[in-house]
Amino acid sequence: MGRSRASQEFRPHFRPEGHFDRTAAHKPILVLENVLKVFRADAPVLRGVDLTIERGEFVFVTGPSGAGKSTLLKLIYRAESVDDGRILFCGRDIARLTEDSIPHLRRNIGVVFQDFRLVPYWTVYENVAVALEVMGLQPRVVRSRVALALERVGLDGRGDERVSVLSGGEQQRVTIARAIVTEPAIVLADEPTGNLDPVLALDILGLFEEINEAGTTVIFATHDRTLLEVSPRRLVVIDDGRCIEARKGLEGLGDALEHRALN
Amino acid sequence: MFERALKGLRLQFGTQMLSVATVALSLFCMGAALLALENTGAMVRRWGAPVKVTVFLAEGVSLEQVDTLRRALTGLPEVEDARYVSSAEARQSLSAGGDATVASAPVELFPATIELRLVPSAVTADRVASVAARVRRIPAVSEVETYRGFTERLRGLLAGGRAAAGIVALGVLLCVLAVVSNTVRMSLAARLREIEVLRLVGATRAYIRTPFLVEGAMLGGVGAVVAVAVLAMVYATLRSHFDASLGTLLGVHPVFLPWTVSMLLIVGGAGLGALGSAAALRRGLQS
Repeated sequence: MGRSRASQEFRPHFRPEGHFDRTAAHKPILVLENVLKVFRADAPVLRGVDLTIERGEFVFVTGPSGAGKSTLLKLIYRAESVDDGRILFCGRDIARLTEDSIPHLRRNIGVVFQDFRLVPYWTVYENVAVALEVMGLQPRVVRSRVALALERVGLDGRGDERVSVLSGGEQQRVTIARAIVTEPAIVLADEPTGNLDPVLALDILGLFEEINEAGTTVIFATHDRTLLEVSPRRLVVIDDGRCIEARKGLEGLGDALEHRALN
Repeated sequence: MFERALKGLRLQFGTQMLSVATVALSLFCMGAALLALENTGAMVRRWGAPVKVTVFLAEGVSLEQVDTLRRALTGLPEVEDARYVSSAEARQSLSAGGDATVASAPVELFPATIELRLVPSAVTADRVASVAARVRRIPAVSEVETYRGFTERLRGLLAGGRAAAGIVALGVLLCVLAVVSNTVRMSLAARLREIEVLRLVGATRAYIRTPFLVEGAMLGGVGAVVAVAVLAMVYATLRSHFDASLGTLLGVHPVFLPWTVSMLLIVGGAGLGALGSAAALRRGLQS
C-alpha cells in the first residue's frame, strides 16, 4: 500500500508536451473561487462557491438530489466548464485549459460513478488497463500496475473475467481500480455507493478511506446519511447553490443537515 | 491502434462483412469499367492509328515530278511504302467489279494518286495530320486524304467510355463513402460507453479517433482487394473461353488492368474508407 515519495509528488501534466510545475506540490490541491454554474438562467446550480481542499484530505460533499454535487465534480474534471470564477488545481486554473489539455488534466484525476461506467464487453483487466494505455505506457508496466490496483481493491486474479458477469459491488471495485491505477493526485467519487446495499456501501467507503490513507485526496459526493455518520471526515454541504463548510466529525454536521431533506 | 481497430471489427463482425461486400461490389463495378476502358484503348491504338494516306496529284504533273515526290515521301520515317497510281490504273481498279459505266468514263475523271502505306507502330494521328498538312503545300499535290473519320469515331467511342467510367467512379466514390460512413457510425453508436470511458481516463482526440479511421480504411481496403481479386477471376475465366475469338474479332488480345491501376484501386479503397470514417467521426464524436 505504501507509495514512494516520488509517486506522491503531484505532477500536473496538463499540457501535451508534459509541462511540470514543481511548485504545484506545495499548493492546495483544489481551490474553487466564486464559482458560478448556470444551466437555467433563473436557477444557477452553483453560485459563488468557495472551497479549498488540501492535499491528502478526505472530503464528503453532500446535499439533496439536484443540489449540484455532480455538477461540482464535473467542473473539476472538466466535463463542464464554469460560467464564472476560477478552479485552481494545484495552482492552475483549469477553467482556462484548452480542449487539447483536458485529457492531460484527467490523467491526474480518478473518477468513480454510481453507475460504474465500465465497458461491458471488456474484461476486468482491460477496463482498468485503459487508464494507463491512453498514457502510452509499456505493456509490461501496465500489467504490473493493473495487478497492483486489482490487489488493492480485492480483485486480484480476476483480471480475465468480463465485467458484465460481476456483481454490483465487484463492478464498483473495478471502477475504483481504474480510478487509482494511475496513482492520481485526487479521486472524485460521485455517489459511488448509490447502487449498492448498505453493507457493500460501507465496504466501498472503507476502500476509499484506504486510498486516502495512502496519500490520495478523495472527494466523496453522497447523500447517504449512514456513510456520513460512520466516517468522521470533513463535510461540505451544498445548499442553495453555495458550499457550507461543516466541521469535521458527526458533531460538526450542523443545522444544515438537520434541516435539509436528505434522501 | 491496429489491435483496437481489429477489436472493433470483431465486435460487429456481421455488419462489417456486409460493408466489405458492398464496398467490394462497388469497386468491382469501377474495376470492370476501367478494364473495359483499358481494352477499348488498346483497340483504338490498334485501329485508330492511320495506316493509309492517299495523296491526290494535281493535273498536269509530270512523271519526273511524281517520281521525285514519291521518293521524298518514301524517305519519311512514318512511311513504309509509297506507290504511284495513275489515272488509268485508278479507273481500272474502280471498274474491277465489272461496272461498265466506270470503265467507259473519261480517264481525266480519275486523278492520279500516290498511295502511302504507313508504319503502324511509328505513327500517331497528330503526326499524320502534320505530315498531310506539309504535303498539301507541295504544288504537285491537290489533296491529301488521311481517312480520319474512322479514327475520330473510335476516339469518340473511347471518350464516351471515359465519361461513363468517370460517372461510375463518382457513383462508386459516393457509395463507398456512404457505406463506410454508416458502418462506422453504427460502430460508434455501439461503442459510446467505450468512448465515454476513454474520454474519462484522459484519452486524446487522436487516440479515440485513430482506431475508427483504421477500421474505415480496413473496410475500404479489404473491399478493394476482394473487388480486384473477383475481377481478376472473372477476367481469367472469360479470357480462357473467348480469347482466340476476341483476338480475331477485335484485332487485339484482351489485357487485365495494369498492376499500378490495381494498386491504385486498393489504396483508393482504403483512402475512401478512411475518408468515410472521418466524416462519420466528425458528426458522431461531436454528439
